[in-house]
Amino acid sequence: MHKKIFRLLLAAAFAGSMLTGCKGRDTAAGEQPPAEEQPAAEEKDSVIVAMGPSSEPESGFDPAYGWGAGEHVHEPLIQSTLTVTNTDLSIGYDLAEDMQVSEDGMTWTVTIREDVKFTDGEPLTAEDVVFTYNTVKENSSVNDFTMLKEAVAVDGKTVEFRMERPYSIWPYSMAIVGIVPEHAYGPDYGEHPVGSGRYIMKQWDKGQQIIFEANPDYYGEAPKMKKVTVLFMDEDAAYAASLAGQVDLAYTSASYSDQTIDGYELLAYETVDNRGINLPAVPASADEKGNVVGNDFTSDVRVRRAINIGIDREEMIENVLNGYGTAAYSICDKMPWYNETAEVSFDLEGAAALLDEAGWTAGSDGIRQKDGVRAELNILYASGDSVRQALAADMQNQLKELGIEASIEGVGWDTAYTRALAEPLMWGWGAHTPMELYNIYHTLEGGSAEYSPYSNESVDQYMDEALKAVSLEDSYDLWKKAQWDGTSGVTQEGDIPWIWLCNIDHLYWARTDLHVADQKLHPHGHGWSIVNNVDQWYWE
Amino acid sequence: MKRVNGRIMTVFFFALAVLFLAAVTAAGWVFSEEALVTDFSRKNLGPGLQYLFGTDWLGRDMFIRTLTGLSMSIRIGILAAGVSSVLALLLGTMAATMGKTVDAVITWVIDLVMGIPHILLLILISYALGKGLKGVVVGVALTHWTSLARVIRGEVMQLKEALYIRTARKLGVGGFEIAWKHMFPHLFPQFLVGLILTFPHAILHEASITFLGFGLSPEQPAVGIILSESMKYLAMGRWWLALFPGLFLVFTVVLFDVAGENLRRLMDPGSVHI
Repeated sequence: MHKKIFRLLLAAAFAGSMLTGCKGRDTAAGEQPPAEEQPAAEEKDSVIVAMGPSSEPESGFDPAYGWGAGEHVHEPLIQSTLTVTNTDLSIGYDLAEDMQVSEDGMTWTVTIREDVKFTDGEPLTAEDVVFTYNTVKENSSVNDFTMLKEAVAVDGKTVEFRMERPYSIWPYSMAIVGIVPEHAYGPDYGEHPVGSGRYIMKQWDKGQQIIFEANPDYYGEAPKMKKVTVLFMDEDAAYAASLAGQVDLAYTSASYSDQTIDGYELLAYETVDNRGINLPAVPASADEKGNVVGNDFTSDVRVRRAINIGIDREEMIENVLNGYGTAAYSICDKMPWYNETAEVSFDLEGAAALLDEAGWTAGSDGIRQKDGVRAELNILYASGDSVRQALAADMQNQLKELGIEASIEGVGWDTAYTRALAEPLMWGWGAHTPMELYNIYHTLEGGSAEYSPYSNESVDQYMDEALKAVSLEDSYDLWKKAQWDGTSGVTQEGDIPWIWLCNIDHLYWARTDLHVADQKLHPHGHGWSIVNNVDQWYWE
Repeated sequence: MKRVNGRIMTVFFFALAVLFLAAVTAAGWVFSEEALVTDFSRKNLGPGLQYLFGTDWLGRDMFIRTLTGLSMSIRIGILAAGVSSVLALLLGTMAATMGKTVDAVITWVIDLVMGIPHILLLILISYALGKGLKGVVVGVALTHWTSLARVIRGEVMQLKEALYIRTARKLGVGGFEIAWKHMFPHLFPQFLVGLILTFPHAILHEASITFLGFGLSPEQPAVGIILSESMKYLAMGRWWLALFPGLFLVFTVVLFDVAGENLRRLMDPGSVHI
């Protein structure tokens, strides 16, 4: 009986999702051509992966327009990159054989392998690399390449990158730029990509699926998975598709984690896909456009410190993520440039003492006050994101115990950025490059950091120095010092302009006999990262 | 025992519908704070004695949320239906009495608004006004006056030629006085029924544009939001998140219909003596 009701509801859910008329939903209806084509009983070397509709690359597979790069970084699969990030997020080589940087940091010299061919048979030369980098510098809509002046081919296998300013973390930028062929690049490259990577894009049914086939002439280890099909569907459809056995691996979220599916297991991967809120560090005022910037309550550093230690992150992870997450203390937890001193332990009494000391004392209704101002916070979250909504709601409950009255409000991204300059917003960050620290904390020309009002000269200086460092190792040290150098920084004892709450585990339903290769810490974005090493997956 | 006649039954149904709607509205008012409370220690509970309609993934009591949502819907409905009915009355009367040009313009506007699908126009208006309560109320009000305006226009045109109006005019009674004293009492039943029958439309449209994400903001306990949130959890077997709020929405809408229909029967000379 239960099953019947359940099926009925499922059918209703499908009908509902079809009615809303989103183009990506068709796949949920059950016609999955790739699933039927599979040869029975033979050794399986293909896999079907379900991702969210927003993972489908809008402009196709052109690195200049966001493929592999941008907010959600991942390996471009179809193209090769010069460098790669290793499992521990140090730098390894793909096309590159060697790289050198000049003393002043203004020239990077990279030599590349000579045995690499594009899938159309043409060899990949330094000219192609130069063409790629000059093109992305010119056209990239998602990445900042202003530090690059030009790329120049010294000979067939040597490329020189001439910089506008020293940029020690250039190898991380090189890890996200897929090399495109100069002879086969045009306006329609995004839809008809030619590369030298592990896979060839075979078929793209927009709004439904993309089929990849292994590149038979790949210069590295031959992919074990010969065919990879990626389907785009909503979370509930992906779950239903797993129930129906139509996919081999499907993304899911913590709200589904208490379910079980026969023949599937729940895989959880740790991430730096963090969630946190910004606390505007300056008092409220109006800017020239009339927008409010700053917040009178959170401009008090002791308030920010109190909130940082007054939040029980473990409880939050248990409540909201069913335990599938790790506490976050920075934007870059566990990365080589993470400063461990950012870690704090939960201390409600200490937090209360800080607030008392700052003059925020409890009023008759239990809510703290200072000079007639109530300790109030309105926490914004992106509407439609149930996890962020739940995090904000849990934070609201926890802040109440501190005597801070919080409310939560769902907002669209069209207004969120402006409003976050005055009110805390539930953000999600996390990337495989230290530039994230720079983007969050570094002062812009207007005298404040980009996303939340804050500025600290010494933090800026460390990050500027880090970019000028000669070696990556030196730069890691400086990035750490930018976070906390013993006297100032962005951690608990410092200015703490952002509070980091948790890193969200990326969850997947996977067939029990599918062996998914070890994952490096996933960055923000629950999409393509999982298939970074799909070539090494196999069936047991 | 005296047989219950049709009129008493009609009054009874009307009173019952109004009473229920008033109770829901009042309950929503009382519980408006509580509907926002999240408590993770009681999340995802099925319907039971303590939580009649179960709880959702944030541990919110769905019974209270549903009541508050419906209450908000009813209040929005009253506001939007009120505004749009008054608009219809004004424009309908103006079209009928102020000459050919005004009539042509107003009829053209009516055709224009009717020509665009309701939901599309609603979304446009609501979005342009920055969504939220204001957007929804103005949107619903501006899209629902047309059919009533047509009815009133036709009615007034007929009345204009009626003997007693013509006599009044001959006796030198002013235009406004004729409209107010002689025409409005005649129009009132039409107007009232039109007003009440606009409620269900207004409520359903509020729910649907909120469902589509162009209405009220998502932390508010509106029925449209409850239903759109519940979609995701249906596949997990949490049917109570959609069923009870959905049923209650339908129930509320039906009650408005019942109230309107019974009121019509009470006021319509053709059926008043049944």
